[in-house]
Amino acid sequence: MLKKLILLFFIFAFNMNAQNKVFPYDYKQVTLDNGLSVVLIPMNSPGLASYYTIVRTGSRDEVEEGKTGFAHFFEHMMFRGTEKYPGPVRDSIVTSLGADGNAYTTDDRTVYYLSFAAEDMERIMELESDRFQFLKYSEQDFQTEAGAVYGEYRKNITNPFMVLFETLHSTAFDKHTYRHTTMGFVEDIKIMPQQFEFSKKFFNMFYRPDNIVLLIVGDIDTDKTLEMVKQYYGNWKSGYVQPDIPLEPKQNGLREKEVKFQGRTLPLIVISHKGDAFDINNKDIFAASLFEDLAFGETSEIYKKLVLNEQKVQFVSADFGFNRDPGLLSVYSMIKNENDIDYVKNEINSTLEKYKTELVDSKKLNDLKKRMKYSFLMNLDSPSSVASALPTYLTYVPDMKIIDQMFEVIDTITPEDIKNAVNKYFGEEQRTIVTLKGGM
Amino acid sequence: MFKKIISLLLLAFLLFGCSNMKDENLVLYPVKDDPTISFKIWFKVGSQNDPKGKEGLAALTAGLLSEGATKNNSYDQILEKLFPLAAGYSCNSSVEMTIFNGRVHKDNLDEYYPIFIDALLNPAFKEEDFNRIKQRTLNYLNTTLKYSSDEELGKAVLYNDIFDGTTYGHITIGTISGIESITIDDVKEFYNKYYSKNNFVIGLGGGYDEALINRLKNDLAKLNDLQVEEIGKPQPEKIDGLNFTLIEKEAPATAISMGFLIDLVRGSKEWYALAVANSWFGEHRNSSSHLYQIIREERGLNYGDYSYIENFPNGGSYQMPPTNVPRRQQIFEIWIRPVPNETRQFVLRTALRELQMLVDNGMTKEDFELTRNFLKKYVLNFAKTTSSRLGYAIDDKFYGIDGSHLELFRKMMDEITLEDVNNAIKKHLQYDNMKIAIITKDAESFKNNLAANTTSPIEYSTPKPESVLEEDKNIIDYKLNIDQNKINIIQVEELFK
Repeated sequence: MLKKLILLFFIFAFNMNAQNKVFPYDYKQVTLDNGLSVVLIPMNSPGLASYYTIVRTGSRDEVEEGKTGFAHFFEHMMFRGTEKYPGPVRDSIVTSLGADGNAYTTDDRTVYYLSFAAEDMERIMELESDRFQFLKYSEQDFQTEAGAVYGEYRKNITNPFMVLFETLHSTAFDKHTYRHTTMGFVEDIKIMPQQFEFSKKFFNMFYRPDNIVLLIVGDIDTDKTLEMVKQYYGNWKSGYVQPDIPLEPKQNGLREKEVKFQGRTLPLIVISHKGDAFDINNKDIFAASLFEDLAFGETSEIYKKLVLNEQKVQFVSADFGFNRDPGLLSVYSMIKNENDIDYVKNEINSTLEKYKTELVDSKKLNDLKKRMKYSFLMNLDSPSSVASALPTYLTYVPDMKIIDQMFEVIDTITPEDIKNAVNKYFGEEQRTIVTLKGGM
Repeated sequence: MFKKIISLLLLAFLLFGCSNMKDENLVLYPVKDDPTISFKIWFKVGSQNDPKGKEGLAALTAGLLSEGATKNNSYDQILEKLFPLAAGYSCNSSVEMTIFNGRVHKDNLDEYYPIFIDALLNPAFKEEDFNRIKQRTLNYLNTTLKYSSDEELGKAVLYNDIFDGTTYGHITIGTISGIESITIDDVKEFYNKYYSKNNFVIGLGGGYDEALINRLKNDLAKLNDLQVEEIGKPQPEKIDGLNFTLIEKEAPATAISMGFLIDLVRGSKEWYALAVANSWFGEHRNSSSHLYQIIREERGLNYGDYSYIENFPNGGSYQMPPTNVPRRQQIFEIWIRPVPNETRQFVLRTALRELQMLVDNGMTKEDFELTRNFLKKYVLNFAKTTSSRLGYAIDDKFYGIDGSHLELFRKMMDEITLEDVNNAIKKHLQYDNMKIAIITKDAESFKNNLAANTTSPIEYSTPKPESVLEEDKNIIDYKLNIDQNKINIIQVEELFK
């Protein structure tokens, strides 16, 4: 997770100085009359293309009581077919095309993707546009899929990190929908089979063109592809209405929780603070993202001390990434000896405190910018790697310009900006600490 | 149609056709416009070379090369130097192969290369690095593998059972007692013995130039000159009947892995024929998998069900097959992701019955056509980057494939016939003799039910189509010939000792 965030971060951080342009590929961006945002990126990738449908809805949008986990569940239902192409028929066509397809759901978005031979573009578009407009499934199929989702939960819950995340979110948030993980509360997962009617409502609410970004990358002719998009998606009716997501009241004090894991594990801790929503005009969120690597990355002082020298922890790492609404800025560690838990917590807090008064090393900050440049260059080596890097940002702002704007901001960040952000976010009154210990 | 074939052939050439071997100890995958360079130095060593009682030594040695100091730099100095380059290196050990990997942007090659080669030629093997990696390994064996991922645990137990008593008979990472007994001197000795100038192949991919090849050759010639003795292919005991290992633990759900030896590796026409059958039966993490359709899609009993004819470690984390984990001896493997404990016997019957139907009836013409067309294009997704294509090229050399496995794969999809596939199924697959590893709770009662061949009625929490319920009638008392003496129960705490 952390690595992915760092990678995404790096991917866009380069090039502004060199070419005044963040993204190395030309692209075409159009919004259809029905609100569908279309981004087409041709690149030299002989015969290959990637096709991403980004639904700007995730577990954040699950505002109804007893319906947590529904965005993720719905991701499963999207593979159940339509009247024209029932599930098995669709599967059979996708199979015959040899496409590599799947989907994932996060707190802020649901993303469907396919990699395939570019010559099959029209067939793929016909299938994809059909299921997003005309999804149809039986109640029996719906109920069976609910069983598979519960199976996924059972698989995940044997992992202590899942238990840690669940506890962290339910402890840190009181009102906002970030209080549950993307999987949802287990009691809601169990009753999913009864929610057939709600599932149709969910589809009608969120699977609308004005809530979706269509991203196509690879060996494509943009004009022809755009014509095709208009043909297959042009008649889709708009009608997305933003759900009324409860605001999280300001946290007014330290929260601490200890949780037991059924199996055996080394103790895990997470120390989290409330952040801000993604906003291009808020320099502090970008400063905090840079601080993540400088303060807790592999070359940080705390890493050298706790991981390499004292060897008291298995790892220490941070995730100060972005969210559509104010999310969490978290530092994680796995500790080798239970007796050192307080010591490690103290070291993490001391690191945060230190940078409230001290400036980060400016050479290190410049090194980080150089690192970003080369990570960026090295990771855009296939249509799927380019496409997979974009959904995070296109979810926040469905416009490719956001990338240039974002890294214009990043380029200006100074050690002073980072100090200001640390002071803003890492106060004890907005802190949540969860400690997980093995049950055996 | 003709145009389509031409474009596919062109695509295949562009993707897989550039591999170029000029030298016995070189695997080159030049891509002129690639701004990066990929290094893969293959050492012919792996967990099969672990000395008895020191299981895990190959992996631990590789770990120290990846994350340890050199005689010139402490580990934290190395991290500092690599940081602005956005580059790194790692050493990964599998059963028969260890790869020292690196990747860098061309602009940074001059700064990167000395750090990369120093790590390989001048490891310091410092006590503090050794202790850090050893402790992490023990934690993985003692806690993570046993308590945090029942799926990987099931597969580890299966492989250990099938290859028990052979050089493949322990998982790559080792055993607890093996790791505990390893000293820093063991690591130094192992390094000196196997990281020899007579025991590597240079793999280079991307935008490198000829000078880099020579530079690497000259530098690697500084390794010691010891001759390395080749280890024979493992000769595991023949499996007789259905042999169960039930791992008792407080498991919220039951994970099942099963398999048996197959005498086939990639490169032969027969392998590609069997690959078609396997893809239809259980393509990894793909809804085209028949087992997935039967157990997950129709019955909603778990998250997925797949089968394999090549080792696929960490399948829960990867969509496409890994490179550089080759084995001369492979198994046929079925992976059933966790199912509700109360359905474990039913699901086991379902999977074995489906396997029996595949073996007895073969594939239909329709399924054969669909699957070979699927594979012909799907394999394009196996290697999307220069680094992964170089990985495939190295594996081609390991398996003695003249050319490219992926290219051959696509070519074979046009050549093989339904008869080839069904012959391969008859010859290599069966359902009577296999090892079955099951992670579950209340193993004793499961053992009794298995031994007594009790009926396993299934109750669904949601309605199912009549066709599924009819089929279930054939599953619930599907006869499994199980000898109770071949059901072994092991407490999870006792594993990997």
